[in-house]
Amino acid sequence: MTDFLQNCIDGVMFGSGYALLALGFTLVFGVMKRLNLSFGPSIMLGAYAGTWVYLNFSQNALLIVLVTVITTVAVGIYVERLCFWAVRRDAAIASMVSSFAIWMQLEEVAMHLLPERTYPFPTFFTSTVIDIGPFFVRSEHISMFLLTLVLLALLHLFLFRTRPGLALRAVSDNPLASTYMGINSSNIFFLAFAVVSVLGGLAGFLILSADSQVTPFFGLWATFKGLIAMMLGGMGSLTGAILGGLLLGVVEANAFWYGGPLIRDISAYLLLFIMLIVRPGGLVGQRIVTQQQAAYERV
Amino acid sequence: MPNDYLLTVISNIGMISLIALSAYLLLISGEISFGQQAYFGISAYAGAIATTLWGWPLWLALLFGSSLAALAAGFVGLLTLRISGLYFSIATLAFAEMVRLSLFKLTYQIEIDGELIGPNGAEGFGEIRWIFDNDVSVLEYTLLIYGILLLVLFFLVLIERSRLGMIFRMLGQDPLLTRVQGLNPVRYKVTAAILAGFIAGLGGTLYAHSFTYIEPQIFNMMLGVHALAYGLIGGLGTVLGPLIGVAIDIGFLESVRVIQGYRMVVFGGLVALMLIFMPRGIFDEKRVYWLKSIARRWFRA
Repeated sequence: MTDFLQNCIDGVMFGSGYALLALGFTLVFGVMKRLNLSFGPSIMLGAYAGTWVYLNFSQNALLIVLVTVITTVAVGIYVERLCFWAVRRDAAIASMVSSFAIWMQLEEVAMHLLPERTYPFPTFFTSTVIDIGPFFVRSEHISMFLLTLVLLALLHLFLFRTRPGLALRAVSDNPLASTYMGINSSNIFFLAFAVVSVLGGLAGFLILSADSQVTPFFGLWATFKGLIAMMLGGMGSLTGAILGGLLLGVVEANAFWYGGPLIRDISAYLLLFIMLIVRPGGLVGQRIVTQQQAAYERV
Repeated sequence: MPNDYLLTVISNIGMISLIALSAYLLLISGEISFGQQAYFGISAYAGAIATTLWGWPLWLALLFGSSLAALAAGFVGLLTLRISGLYFSIATLAFAEMVRLSLFKLTYQIEIDGELIGPNGAEGFGEIRWIFDNDVSVLEYTLLIYGILLLVLFFLVLIERSRLGMIFRMLGQDPLLTRVQGLNPVRYKVTAAILAGFIAGLGGTLYAHSFTYIEPQIFNMMLGVHALAYGLIGGLGTVLGPLIGVAIDIGFLESVRVIQGYRMVVFGGLVALMLIFMPRGIFDEKRVYWLKSIARRWFRA
């Protein structure tokens, strides 16, 4: 029982990172009704740029964060223009396939930037173990968890207390009505991608900093963890993304404890597969996910 | 006598064409699968086990591997009936990754001639020696691959000309219409999935025996995205579309020296641009129809 609870604590700590990644997916999906599979690789490219600066120029933490975030945003905008803005409005699937192809492109660019398998990523957390009763928590996980909460609060402020945030939610709720209200949805899509990339860059920095290394697998990892967390929670839902992230973290931590790394990875995919089959809308989402299905129900 | 390297490239094109055709079959029936590599991999392992460990003849192993792949595809098809669009794509991707990771756990070794042979988790599955044991030359094996590819093509052309093909395309254009016609989309979706799984499976077993070594890492998403992209580049209007896509990628991109090492940059960009300007590939339905009408006029004159 103690083991299980300890795993749950670890899971929540990891899960906060997953939740940040899931928020990136869910914001884009909520606003555009499209899936950006290139999200993880764009974060990886940002992290690679950050590492490159770290190795070649400076060890200034702030500079590295800035480089990571700016590169992620630049790549995010590239993806948005190529795979989303330029593709026909009604072709949601084409955007997904396109971003999938660009994923492979970004991964090869990253390989050329830093050809080795593993690179050190600057760590700015001091690592100690803190005991709380029978449980223990690593301090860098606590800092990560707290920073995640801060980012969440900032995102909430942006979405619910500013005009661009309002416009973003309006487009998400009803694209047609928001166009009538004079909102340029193309600009809002651009804004959503920029916000998501900033969030992704910071999330990538936090996660890699806690790991203190970056590998070419990070793109795949980030896309999948974010995607799984979002789909578990419910596509396009902010609460869902956080819940899904925490759920994924807890399941993975337990699977790792009882089965090892391979079982952990399989369990994440299995969880996603089962969720998609049983409840495609996710934990907090709707039961019927597409108009087509709604039509089926009527026929 | 053509050299062996060229033959290997040619036979590679043939085997990859099979998985591209399987993705194509699903594409025309309206589903985008990111997971055809799973069936390719299942069949590669099953077929190689059948010949190497159980001593089966190749034709039986081919049948066994592909049937197993078709079975898995049918199973996934049944499970994913309720979902479509991007939910389906992500579900197939999740399944394919599950299969790939499970192959890391697969250890099944038998001692043959004092050596342990068989799949051994991450170390892969080597010594698939059917080609050497039966004295099959590279040329003969390439001919075998193309024979099977031609059979599959012939079969697919037959399907496209039949009522079944019409229903597949209708399902791809408008599933609701299919339903209104009094047809059961469920049945046709699963049929398409099983056929696609079988075709990918044929490619898988052939692949394992051609390369004599397989490991789980081969059947990753890279293979899946390629299989899907070939049809999207070549065109969804004709069964030759995926083959044209494969020829463009392996025949052209692989041979141009300038882009060595940047192949995925070029290929990924190409796919993205194609999706913007020609969402259904070079030879889409309209252009195929146009070409056919030109050909008809030509022959009449």
